[in-house]
Amino acid sequence: MTETQTQTRTQPLVVEREETKPGFVGQNVPRKEDKRLVQGEGVFFDDVKRHGMGYVHFVRSPYAHAKIKSIDLTKAMELGGVYGTLTGDEVAILTDPFFELSVKPGADIRDYALAVGRVRHVGEPVAAVVASSRELARDAADLVEVDYEPLPVLTTAAEALKDETILHDDAGSNVVWQGVFDWGDWEGAKAEADHVVTIERLHFDRFSSTPLECAGALVEYNRGTGQWTMYCNHQMPGIGAIWMAPALRTGIDKLRFVTQDIGGAFGNKICLHPQFVALCLLARKLKRPVQWTEWRTDQHTANAHGNERTFLDVEVAVRADGTLLGFNCRALDDCGAFPRYEPLGCIIWAQVTPGCYRWRNIRVDFTQVCTNKSPVSPNRGYSRMQHLWLTERIIDIVAHELELDPVEVRKRNYVRTEDMPYETPNGCVYDSGDYARGLDLALELIGYEQLEEKRRDAEERGRLLGFGIGSTLDSGTNNFGQSTLLNPELQFSGNNEVATVKLDIFGEIVVTLGTVPQGQGHETTAAQVVSDILACSPDDVTVRPGHDTYWNSNAGFSGTYASQFAVTGLGAVKGAADMLASQIKRVAAGVFGATEDDVELAEGQARLKANAEAAIPFMGIGAIVNANNAILPMDVRDVTLNCRYVYVPPFQLPDFERKFGNLTLTYASQVHVCLVEIDPETGVYDIVDYAAVDDCGKRIHPQIVEGQVHGATAQALGAATTEIFAYDDEGNLLTPNFYDYHVPHALDMPPMQNGYLESPSPFTPLGAKGMGEGGGAGIHAVCAALQDALKSRGKPVVWRSCNPYHQVWQYLQEPPRGLEVSGR
Amino acid sequence: MKVEGTRTFAAPRETVWEVLNDPARMAKAMPGVESFDVQDDTHWTANVKIPLGLGGLSMSIEFEKTEERRPEFAEISAKGDGVGAIMSMVTAFHLAEAAEGTKMKWEAEVKIAGPVGSMGQRVLQPIVNQQVTNALSALDEQVQEAAAS
Repeated sequence: MTETQTQTRTQPLVVEREETKPGFVGQNVPRKEDKRLVQGEGVFFDDVKRHGMGYVHFVRSPYAHAKIKSIDLTKAMELGGVYGTLTGDEVAILTDPFFELSVKPGADIRDYALAVGRVRHVGEPVAAVVASSRELARDAADLVEVDYEPLPVLTTAAEALKDETILHDDAGSNVVWQGVFDWGDWEGAKAEADHVVTIERLHFDRFSSTPLECAGALVEYNRGTGQWTMYCNHQMPGIGAIWMAPALRTGIDKLRFVTQDIGGAFGNKICLHPQFVALCLLARKLKRPVQWTEWRTDQHTANAHGNERTFLDVEVAVRADGTLLGFNCRALDDCGAFPRYEPLGCIIWAQVTPGCYRWRNIRVDFTQVCTNKSPVSPNRGYSRMQHLWLTERIIDIVAHELELDPVEVRKRNYVRTEDMPYETPNGCVYDSGDYARGLDLALELIGYEQLEEKRRDAEERGRLLGFGIGSTLDSGTNNFGQSTLLNPELQFSGNNEVATVKLDIFGEIVVTLGTVPQGQGHETTAAQVVSDILACSPDDVTVRPGHDTYWNSNAGFSGTYASQFAVTGLGAVKGAADMLASQIKRVAAGVFGATEDDVELAEGQARLKANAEAAIPFMGIGAIVNANNAILPMDVRDVTLNCRYVYVPPFQLPDFERKFGNLTLTYASQVHVCLVEIDPETGVYDIVDYAAVDDCGKRIHPQIVEGQVHGATAQALGAATTEIFAYDDEGNLLTPNFYDYHVPHALDMPPMQNGYLESPSPFTPLGAKGMGEGGGAGIHAVCAALQDALKSRGKPVVWRSCNPYHQVWQYLQEPPRGLEVSGR
Repeated sequence: MKVEGTRTFAAPRETVWEVLNDPARMAKAMPGVESFDVQDDTHWTANVKIPLGLGGLSMSIEFEKTEERRPEFAEISAKGDGVGAIMSMVTAFHLAEAAEGTKMKWEAEVKIAGPVGSMGQRVLQPIVNQQVTNALSALDEQVQEAAAS
């Protein structure tokens, strides 16, 4: 193993831990997707139209919580060009409630495609109107008269927990799921500690990613076969079908999902099953294709948000030298009006239970409740981001309070590279990484040695300078067995992904993916892997764009989510390509009267190792097998040149009693550092310098990795500074558009430097790790930097994840503490 | 959203009471009223246009007097529907005799749902405040007119 290092201020700092091998993997080959996207020739679902189709507009609740007394559709139906409608009463007759993942009381919640009898959040679909144009459907929806009787509104998890107002009478409680996670010996750690730091309250604010393309689908119903086809942007059709088919009282074979290009998804295109079921019912009822394209305001108001989570009574056991022994807290999670993908968020965080640190004694009392807000769904960094924010906040608050150096505390407590693979207190296995080295690289990039000098310079200009670190993990490739830790009745475990690679008559190499790409460059990276195995050019490999559940091979967990494509998707591609390579060699060996071992693949040919001139081009192999197979020896007639491989990660079922087991296969790591400058008169601040170091193992395409790091950083900085879904006391969303909900623009981004470590995963086919989600490292870095900058102003505890200028101004006016330190 | 305040009228309490409980006079005090119908002593409706951004927000409002203790207290409930907004309001006023005439203490709880509600207090509060100021000035005129007649 060698280590090479190159650095300039304009190029990423790269530390590679193994020699670069020849081939296309690891190279920045041109992205196959870019030509059509840059030229405006991509095909998104809204580009697909059908003769006679209708446009759907949902009538949405203006109330956060109300009984539906009546719905009068008369005026809407009288409007010329209106094709029909659908209401919750019809939905309740024609469908069954969606499957719930939770145990009781959450299991008893009844969730339908449209509101039935009661609305539980502003923007909840109450009825649907279909008309000949999108605008007409919207106008007609305004003519639908709904008589509501407002009910008391729950806008906080703490209020919901009291159960004075119940949102779901069938469940009888607002609690969706509750459980205690207890690993190691918290009481022992507390007794052993020199200090116990107690933090009263930390709050992770509600926000979400906002894909460029809103959700939607064109749905056709084939009356002859009873099959629906959905041209859509659902990012996880496998799970979508599992929800939709039983509700529609049909089989998953009747649901065909088709995607080509998707304009970003980030998790909030996983929970589209309510809207899609409504569309399926409309297409069948009206005997015409229907299309729904979500409006931006509706995307903000009622698509799906990220989980909002409050941590209460956080206790941290620390030795005097800064060694962290463990922590204990209550976590209160607000999942909005319906659980849907929840309560999986109640366990997903446990993939990263100790964060990057070696503390062994951790106790979390976790409760999730429903409120009158938009439902949540997985959102880039799903559930782990909230928990990692907790662990990072703990580090900095404790370090500040005990006057320890946050850099040294981290280095003292990081899981060490020599301990990898490292088993966490709850049985997860960190595969590889060097967090301390990542931090050193980040400090180097930001010029940490000059920190005090920069601080003095800022002071002279009347500004407060702060430095912050966010060190996080992006756990990838789920073990779905973790769902059984929430509900032992669930029949989910492991994971799988599938790909096919075939060689066609004229030598075409065609790949289909079980994954549903949304802009991550799957066509490019899959072609890189295949071309290295088949010894040809990526230009010779066609990867079918998008996904079609009829024609692409599917596995039960197919989709793009949970930072796993580089492992599961490319693992499947590698498996299928290896199979095809073997078949090609067998055919050539049969023709030459040799053995498979005598044949090698090179330059798009199969040839004898001993005689390179004895070669058959792939075109010839494809032609022989597909169109001239009578010339083949009998023992190779089983060859199809159409190879399907299902990649299955090596997971075990977790232990329900101990809530113990390996929940994910890989752990990419991120260390982000930043400098902020605050104007103490106003609370306005700027991020004046920023560095991000990422280690996702073997990088298949470094430029794509860099793009993902940039995107994850922008997402985190938005969440840290401006992006917040704020509600008033009546449950009105106050940030339902891009005017009030500010997503960072290019000009909002700070100067950023990137560095990369490569610690290959020992557990994956290519040494790669999933890395698309990041871990929200930027949120932690900004919070820490604000806390550092404000320490001379009353040492406020930065207790919220989103800190707009007015929040910083409040910290300056009344520094919040909520902190106790006991010690010996 | 809760708004409240006090105002003193240079008129006897009985006169102020009469004006506040006369729907026709109240209609003249309310800004943006385009039409007004009285059903009975405790129920009336109004079509109003609230100056909100481009074109204004047209709303049909139903009023109901839910409580009264002449001449010191009355409570009125109002519910309105318009495109993009559903409004509900409960307003109460207390009248007390004062050296310079009549002192009115009033309060109103206004709830706005729908997209307009999403604009939030930072947008709506100044508009509501402006409307209240206009209404109170108009009410003052009505009281003076009644006192003079």
